[in-house]
Amino acid sequence: MININAITKEYIMGDNKLLALNEVDVSIKEGEFVSIMGSSGSGKSTLMNIIGCLDVPTSGDYFFRNKNISNYNSNMLAELRNKDIGFIFQNFNLLPRLNALENVNLPLLYSGKNVKERTKLSMEALENVGLKDRKDHKPNQLSGGQQQRVSIARAIAGNPKLILADEPTGALDSYTSLEIMKILNDLNSNGITIILVTHEKDIAQYGSRIIKMKDGKIIEDKKNVSS
Amino acid sequence: MSLVDLIYLSQKSLRSNILRSVLTSLGIIIGVSSVITMISIGAGARLEVEQQIERFGSNNLILRSQSSNNRGVSMGNNSVNSLTLKDMEALKNELPAIAAIAPRVSLSTQIIANGNNWLATVTGSTNDYFALGNWKFENGRKFQEDEINSGSRVAIIGKTVQKNLFGTDSPIDEVIRINKVPFTVIGLLDAKGGTAWADLDDTIIVPLKTAKQRLVAKKFPGDQIRSMTINVSSSELLFKTEKDIDTVMRKLHKISANGNPDFVIRNYAQFLNARQESSRVMSILLATVAGISLIVGGIGIMNIMLVTVTERTKEIGVCMSVGAKKRDVLLQFLIESLMISLIGGCLGIALGLGVIFGVSEYFNWKMSLDYMSLVLSFVFSSSIGVIFGFYPARKAASLNPIDALRYE
Repeated sequence: MININAITKEYIMGDNKLLALNEVDVSIKEGEFVSIMGSSGSGKSTLMNIIGCLDVPTSGDYFFRNKNISNYNSNMLAELRNKDIGFIFQNFNLLPRLNALENVNLPLLYSGKNVKERTKLSMEALENVGLKDRKDHKPNQLSGGQQQRVSIARAIAGNPKLILADEPTGALDSYTSLEIMKILNDLNSNGITIILVTHEKDIAQYGSRIIKMKDGKIIEDKKNVSS
Repeated sequence: MSLVDLIYLSQKSLRSNILRSVLTSLGIIIGVSSVITMISIGAGARLEVEQQIERFGSNNLILRSQSSNNRGVSMGNNSVNSLTLKDMEALKNELPAIAAIAPRVSLSTQIIANGNNWLATVTGSTNDYFALGNWKFENGRKFQEDEINSGSRVAIIGKTVQKNLFGTDSPIDEVIRINKVPFTVIGLLDAKGGTAWADLDDTIIVPLKTAKQRLVAKKFPGDQIRSMTINVSSSELLFKTEKDIDTVMRKLHKISANGNPDFVIRNYAQFLNARQESSRVMSILLATVAGISLIVGGIGIMNIMLVTVTERTKEIGVCMSVGAKKRDVLLQFLIESLMISLIGGCLGIALGLGVIFGVSEYFNWKMSLDYMSLVLSFVFSSSIGVIFGFYPARKAASLNPIDALRYE
C-alpha cells in the first residue's frame, strides 16, 4: 500500500538545516496496524505527515497504492486525503461551531456527496463509535473521549483505506484511551490500515508491527508478537 | 463542495460572531444609505423642477410693479401701480426675444353663486395668460375675440372655486356674481394643486378690459396693470432678456441705472437653478460620504477577514486535512465577506429608506425613490465584498496544510 524510498525532509531554521527525516525507507502493506514510536524530534510525526500527504518530502519517492504521488499538486493531494486517508489528532481538531454530525459530515461535503448520502454515511460512522444519540451536541458539550470518537467517526465516514492517528490518546485518561484503542483495533480487523504515532509503550503494543525512530532514521522495525 | 453548503458554513461562522459581523458592515451601511439618499435627492430635485415648470410654465419672467422709495419713505406695496399697457407694448416692440406677454390686474373679492359664498382672487388678463401659465382646460373654452374687445362679462374658473360654489356640478353657463357683477362661466381649468404658499386653483380669470371696467376701475385707473408674465422665446435668452427688460423699463420710467426701480423682475429659472444647485451640492457631499465610507467599509471587511483567517488558521488546516481544496477555502472566505457586505447593503438600504422618509416628512423636501438605486446598492456592496475579501481569502487558501494544522 505504502512504499517510501529514501525520503528526506529538511527544515531550514535560520542558518541551520534540520534534518527531520534522513533517507527513510519503509513499506506498509494493506491491513497492517503499524505503531511508530520515538521521542519528540525523532521524525515520527514528520513521517506521518508525509504519509498522510499533509507535507511533501524534500527528496525521495512516495508510492501510495502503486502511484508515485511525489509529483502530485495540492488539489490532487487534497483529493487523496479526502478519499483514501482519515486523520485522528491528539487534540481532536473538531470545528467548535459545528455539531457532531456536521463535523463528521465535513469530508463528505468536500467530496461533493449529496445531503441524503452524507447523512447516511455520517450516521453510520457515528453509530460505529457509539455516539448516534449525541449527533446534535457541539464539541464543548462532549467529553474528551466522546470528542475523540467523533473525530474517529469523521476519519472513517468517507470509508478510507488508511487511518493515521497522531497520539490519539495523548489527551485522554487511561480508561478512555482503552476505549479509543479498542475502536481502532476493530477498524483494523475490518481491513483498514492503521498507522499510529505514539510515545507510549503500552499504546504502541496494539500495533501488529512497531517501528522505532531516532534522529530522523528508523532504528528498529519488527513484528509485534504480543498483539 | 456545493454553493448551498458553502453558504451554510459561512452563515454559521458569521452568526457565531454577530456583533462583529454587523460592526464590520457599518461602513457599507453608511455608504449604501448615502448612495440611496443621494440618488433620491437628485431625482426629487429634478421632479420638483419639472413640476414647477408644469405649474408656472417655462422661460417665464414676471414683471410687477413695486413701490419706490420716495425720499426714504416707502409708499407701501400696493400703493402704486407703476406698470402700464404702454410699457407692455414698448417691451414687445423693443425686445424681439419676447415671445408673448400676458398682462394682469387682480383683486381678491367675494364671489356669490348657487347660494354659496367664496373669497377668490380674480385676475383680468388675455388668452396668453393660459398658455404662459401652462393652464389646461378641463371643460369649456378660452375668451373669444369679441368678448375681449367688448368687455363681456365672461369668466373662467379654477377647480377650487368650482368645488366651493358648485360642488361637483358643471359650472359652465352658470352665472356667478363677482363683487356683485354677474358673469357667465365659460370655462373650467384643470387642477394644478397647491404650492407651499398658495392654492393655484383658487382663481377666476376674466378678460382684461372687463376687469378694468367693471371690477378694478378705481384700483387700476387708465392703462395701469399689476404685473405681466413675459415669455422668452428660448431659455438661453432668459437671463439676457431679464437684463434688457430692466434697461428698457428704467428708460421708460426714467430711472437711472443705480436708482431704485419701481418694478421688480422675478425669474423662476433663477429659483429653480438655485434649487437644483443646492441639491447638486448636497448630492456631491453625499457621494463623497458614500465613496469614502464604501472604501473604508471595504477596508474594514478586509481587516476583519484577515483577523478571521488568522484566528481560524488551525480550522483551515483541519478542513484541508479532510480534503478541502484551495478553491474550497477561497470560496468559503469570499462568501463570508460577500455576506458581510450584503448584510451591510440590506441594512444600508433600510437606513437609506428611513432617511428618505424622514427628510421628506419633516423637512418637506421632495425626494423620489429610484429603484435603480436599490439595484446599484446591491451591486456596490457585493462587489466591495468580493474585491476586499479576495486578498484575505487567497491568503487562507494558500496556507500549507501542515503549517495551518500546527498553528497555535
